[in-house]
Amino acid sequence: MERREVTFRIKRFNPKKDVRPYYQEYKLTVTKGMTILEALQFIKDEIDPTLAFRAFCRSAICGSCAIKVNGFPKLACKTQVFTELDKFKTSLLTLEPLDNMEVIRDLIVDWDGAFEKMKELKPYLIPDPKVVPDTLDEETRVYPEELKKYDKFTDCILCTSCYSVCTATQIDEGYGGPFQLARLYRFAVDKRDGLKEERAKIGYVYDMWNCVRCEKCADVCPKHVGPVDAIMRLRGISIDIGLKDNPGARHVLAFYKSLMESGLLNEVLLPLRAKGIKGVLENLPVGVKMILKGKAHSPIMKPISEHESLVKLMKAAMEVE
Amino acid sequence: MLTYDIVIVGAGGGGLYAALETSRCKGLRVAVLTKVYPTRSHTGAAQGGINAALGNVAPDSPEKHAYDTVKGSDFLADQDAVELMCEMAPKVIREMEHMGLPFSRLSDGRIAQRPFGGASFPRTCYAADKTGHVMLQTLYEQCIRFGVEFLNEWFALSLVHNGERIAGLTAVNLRTGSIVGIRARAVILATGGHARIYWKRTSNALGNTGDGPAMALRAGVPLKDMEFVQFHPTGLRRTGILVTEGARGEGGYLINAKGERFMERYAPEKMELAPRDLVSRAIETEIMEGRGFEDEEGNKFVYLDLRHLGRKKILERLPQIRELAIDFEGVDPIEEPIPVRPTAHYSMGGIDTDKFGRTSIKGLYAVGECGCVSVHGANRLGGNSLLDIVVFGKIAGKDAVESIEGLDFVSFPEGKVKDEGERIKALFNSDGSEKLSQLRNELSDVMSEGVGIFRSEEGIRRALNKVREIKERAKKLKVYDTELTFNTNLQQTLEFLNMVEVAETIALGALERKESRGAHSRTDYPKRDDEKFLKHSIIRKGDDGELRVSWKPVVITKFPPEERKY
Repeated sequence: MERREVTFRIKRFNPKKDVRPYYQEYKLTVTKGMTILEALQFIKDEIDPTLAFRAFCRSAICGSCAIKVNGFPKLACKTQVFTELDKFKTSLLTLEPLDNMEVIRDLIVDWDGAFEKMKELKPYLIPDPKVVPDTLDEETRVYPEELKKYDKFTDCILCTSCYSVCTATQIDEGYGGPFQLARLYRFAVDKRDGLKEERAKIGYVYDMWNCVRCEKCADVCPKHVGPVDAIMRLRGISIDIGLKDNPGARHVLAFYKSLMESGLLNEVLLPLRAKGIKGVLENLPVGVKMILKGKAHSPIMKPISEHESLVKLMKAAMEVE
Repeated sequence: MLTYDIVIVGAGGGGLYAALETSRCKGLRVAVLTKVYPTRSHTGAAQGGINAALGNVAPDSPEKHAYDTVKGSDFLADQDAVELMCEMAPKVIREMEHMGLPFSRLSDGRIAQRPFGGASFPRTCYAADKTGHVMLQTLYEQCIRFGVEFLNEWFALSLVHNGERIAGLTAVNLRTGSIVGIRARAVILATGGHARIYWKRTSNALGNTGDGPAMALRAGVPLKDMEFVQFHPTGLRRTGILVTEGARGEGGYLINAKGERFMERYAPEKMELAPRDLVSRAIETEIMEGRGFEDEEGNKFVYLDLRHLGRKKILERLPQIRELAIDFEGVDPIEEPIPVRPTAHYSMGGIDTDKFGRTSIKGLYAVGECGCVSVHGANRLGGNSLLDIVVFGKIAGKDAVESIEGLDFVSFPEGKVKDEGERIKALFNSDGSEKLSQLRNELSDVMSEGVGIFRSEEGIRRALNKVREIKERAKKLKVYDTELTFNTNLQQTLEFLNMVEVAETIALGALERKESRGAHSRTDYPKRDDEKFLKHSIIRKGDDGELRVSWKPVVITKFPPEERKY
């Protein structure tokens, strides 16, 4: 049975008592197969009963135990100590609370803000009386391919890992948040829902265009949900229902137009198309510099050689969506 | 002091369904108090599905569902309650479907159903292998829609009543550490199971510690059929984490070290889809008789083989199981069989209720795993627990709303809050000569040995004596963490004390029931004895602190007891 001596460096903080957070080290012998959560419970049982962390199901479904392990959000219950040691080629693991939320104590963060935001987005089915039967003697017919549109997004366990790394959340208080917007999308494509695509308007109000597609939410999701995919699709729906007169939509449409016209991105026209005259003025200093340095191309672009097949490909892709 | 019309303790499926039902009645002040956050509760870990005779895959009827349930229960379930549950099942399933629950579907758009243990037809509605998870999420979403109020991360301490009617409860707000009295005209307990007593090998969440039954016991409210604890046949080798019955429902094989599908010897007709009590005993017998596997750590196990189902089916129907097997056992079920062994899983016994969830105290209800109606009798069928919680959550919620109409609050003595404060203070001031982890492991060991899958007079007595010894020693447990904010040291200690109290009733019930029935298998009384024991055991704590056992008849309507064969 393989054993290793491991140092756990744990960030501790009780805002009621401590002036600032500090790190405390615990050394223990870890056997193969032991999870981070088992290590935490061992520390609490045998070394330091005052260590505070959350845990419940131990089987990666309740979302209680997400913490940072060497800087990356992980569910403590399903993360094996040896795997992390090998990954980082180390015998020391740093455990910290998730970011983007206040620390209540040690590894426990305040979820309320994140969940309140989700509540504001109306994350529940409002049955469409035209689709959902008004009697309990019948079920709604939902075909497997219709379920597929949102099935993946119902895997979310609200562990807030994505929220903790979200760059848009960090800078924009009005931003809906990754798991929150993903849930919004889930209902936007459920035929049983009374609002359906209208929900994209909620996404718009909650700054969904501020997502910078850094993909961190998808990287850290322990259930492979990938909130960013949902946000991109929700943006698409918003354009479909006519929410086109905004910088985000115009930016996307400018890309689209550019590709349809020539197959290349027309960077000279992009600011004009996305933000109008304001965009041109904003970008003017950079634009002038680029022209002077010979980096800007002509606003009139020739289509690429295989432009026809590109257009075919794009149309096919849109049909699949 | 807080005041609500109704307080629901626990935010799993039972608690949330009750809350939704109460929210239909506008103007009532209702709160759901939970020691975690909603959607963390253990309902979410239910994987395989929920039974209802929809007849979408094969012709079926609530009556056949009721028969299978009663037979599965080894005829200890109350048949009127079972009939009610099975009758309501299709409607409740459709109600949740209308709320947005993402059930898996047949190609014609109707809800898909899979075979499950002990059922005559494919009757188990499911959402891949995350049924409980999506159910909990859907119910929570609807609670948000209807503005249900939550007290998140509050831990219930005691029930307050005047001998006839409920007055409320006391609880500690884990975030602030303050102990609060909460007045209520009705209290619905939905605190879940207590299989965490078998700490070292259970499928349960860390918090399934029997808080509801323990509070009820301390308040003089009777518990029922506590001796019946279900061991799920397929827990992962190392951790006891659940591998859904759906894995066998989809066609998985159980294989011993000789490469045999050994269920042939125990249930030639149903094979792997026999009820859980029978399959668990079969696996343990194989291991005891030397036909199991053993790893280098000394873990004994058999294999659950899914390989013949093929990659596509495993990825589509059992994706989470595949991940659990990879994450926790390092085994990909597409390539290799999964090492499994029975794991403490479900508490058939609980707070004694009628089919409305009512207890002996007016206004106090219990629903789901913390209660005992009884619809599961001596052994619960897979897919019936999710059904139990939603059906009886709904019924109790409705009944609570109706029953408090015109009723005033009962007086709530302030001293009750102080009492709990004193009880907790004593834990800080104790000498600490006993250690929590040590006692927890001892309790787990003695319960697994004496009151586990196989039981005998001698073993049960040893367990009972040891549990009583642990209960005494537990008085010397000390809470070392003196902070008010999130004192999880205190919470874990209180949870352990609840477990010890409940453990004693399990052992006592097991001692008194001198027969084998369902999950209660006595080697010294290997036969079911309907003449003496076709009845529910009732355990109540007297004012003197002593536990007393009495018996209550089983309600039999349509299905006369018969030999149980599969």
